[in-house]
Amino acid sequence: MRRLSTRRFCALVSICLSLEPAIAQTTTARIVKAGNAFLATLDEKQRQTVTFAFDDEKQRQRWSNLPTSFVQRGGISLKQMNAPQRDAALALVSSALSPRGFEKVEQIMEGDEVLKSGEGNNPMFGKDLYFISLLGKPSEKDPWMLQFGGHHLALNITIAGEQGILTPTLTGAQPGLFTKDGKTVRPLGQESDKAFALLSALDEKQRKQAILGYRLVDLVLGPGQDGKTIQPEGLKASAMNESQRAMLVGLISEWANIIHESAAAARMAEIKAGLDETWFAWSGPATVTPGKNIAAYYRIQGPKLVIEYAPQRLGGDPSMHIHTMYRDPTNDYGRKAPAK
Amino acid sequence: MRNTLPAAAAILLSLGVPGSAHRLDEYLQATIISVEKDHVQAFMRLIPGVAVTAIVIPSIDTNGDGIISDTERQSYAQRVLGDLSLSIDGHPLKLRLGPVGGTGIGEMKEGLGEIRIEFTADLPRGNGSGRRLIFENHHQSRIAAYLVNCLVPRNKAIQVTAQNRNEDQSYYQLDYVQAGSRSDPRASLGAIALLFSAGLVLLLRLRARSGVLPRMTANELLEDKSKC
Repeated sequence: MRRLSTRRFCALVSICLSLEPAIAQTTTARIVKAGNAFLATLDEKQRQTVTFAFDDEKQRQRWSNLPTSFVQRGGISLKQMNAPQRDAALALVSSALSPRGFEKVEQIMEGDEVLKSGEGNNPMFGKDLYFISLLGKPSEKDPWMLQFGGHHLALNITIAGEQGILTPTLTGAQPGLFTKDGKTVRPLGQESDKAFALLSALDEKQRKQAILGYRLVDLVLGPGQDGKTIQPEGLKASAMNESQRAMLVGLISEWANIIHESAAAARMAEIKAGLDETWFAWSGPATVTPGKNIAAYYRIQGPKLVIEYAPQRLGGDPSMHIHTMYRDPTNDYGRKAPAK
Repeated sequence: MRNTLPAAAAILLSLGVPGSAHRLDEYLQATIISVEKDHVQAFMRLIPGVAVTAIVIPSIDTNGDGIISDTERQSYAQRVLGDLSLSIDGHPLKLRLGPVGGTGIGEMKEGLGEIRIEFTADLPRGNGSGRRLIFENHHQSRIAAYLVNCLVPRNKAIQVTAQNRNEDQSYYQLDYVQAGSRSDPRASLGAIALLFSAGLVLLLRLRARSGVLPRMTANELLEDKSKC
């Protein structure tokens, strides 16, 4: 019998879950159910490996853009699981994300598989080297956290009642463009295209403010830089017209909408409320080859938001190797959620 | 050094290390500055790319034993400080080394190591509310990739007004205003207003005593002033 693809399996799980009585169908209830279903597939030793205390600061910060052989993640990897366990793990991740959010995650992992092939089947890379861990127990009331990540991916998802918090989250892509089943895939293509469209929509005076006169080679607030708020720079959204502000909101949604719809809606409302105090800054080439990613760094920073998009020079063409960071300096790891 | 990618790739291949996941021919030096009322604190992360470790590691592991001792790390941090300059309103500041940390040589050879340095400097009181801090980093400038930023000041009395950098961020200028400074215009205006009010009240009282104005009017005026 052919094995179900991960996406089909997750879709099937979602359909099955949606047929349940409406009373049990809050999003959090679905995520909790998926969490418990995943834990039920593990043996006792695996369960111990995968679970941490909700307030385990070391585990919270055990994420990186780097391959897992360099920076060891907590929890267990997809490689260490059997097929039903892997499916249950991915179903849990999928339950906490939007369909596009999960697709983005799959594309990032697929990209790492492409990288592995391109590096002579290097065991440092590959889509089975992604780790899952739970901080706290899946609960509809008490806060708990789901971490999923590996090379170029770090999802830190806090569930606190009906709240869902996705910060801090790192996404990346290498290669930033590849073909899969005859289709071109750019995992972070929208992040590139929407940013370039916004820059192109600015008038000369606005561009002068938005474009920084210096080179930015990397993320400023990447891994290990929790709790820092840097002085914002660039063009303030209050100096943009309505169309440009809508483009900025659309760009931000590429990160905010990774999480499931109701949490994303709450987050977008929060971000829009602070839009006047949100800044857009750009550093690097203000041109792009059609169909490719930008080679420029940009940052969006608001009262409760930091987004960075940083092409990397290592490994050749910077547009093919991207790191991005998504933070809420006021609520990373859901710190505002009521303590357990 | 920017044109050494082919050489870097050759080194990586010889080491059996893939280049795609590593910083290569740059020495990333990221500084975050925090301005307080009476001092500046800075946090530096120095991350050598795998192709420049041959330059960086011998300058840290000076006895070449393959281990970075605390003494060597401290000594290196002092040398880094020697390549930095910090000034306020044109006056050079003395940098004091704080905690120093970092990874071992093994991680550095893989392009994953870093040295962490903290330093502080006392800030003399300014002559005005507007202040200008200039930070320059010239450490290993041939291979360096600099990043400099400042934190949003925790002290609400300090407001950043401008940040300027040169293209490679080896030069960073931070302009800010600090309310409550000796010559803060707002403080000066307040003092002038207070003196003016006191003079006015005194004048009114003198005139009231001389019968030009009833005494109550002066008190009422004083009360009105206190509501401002």
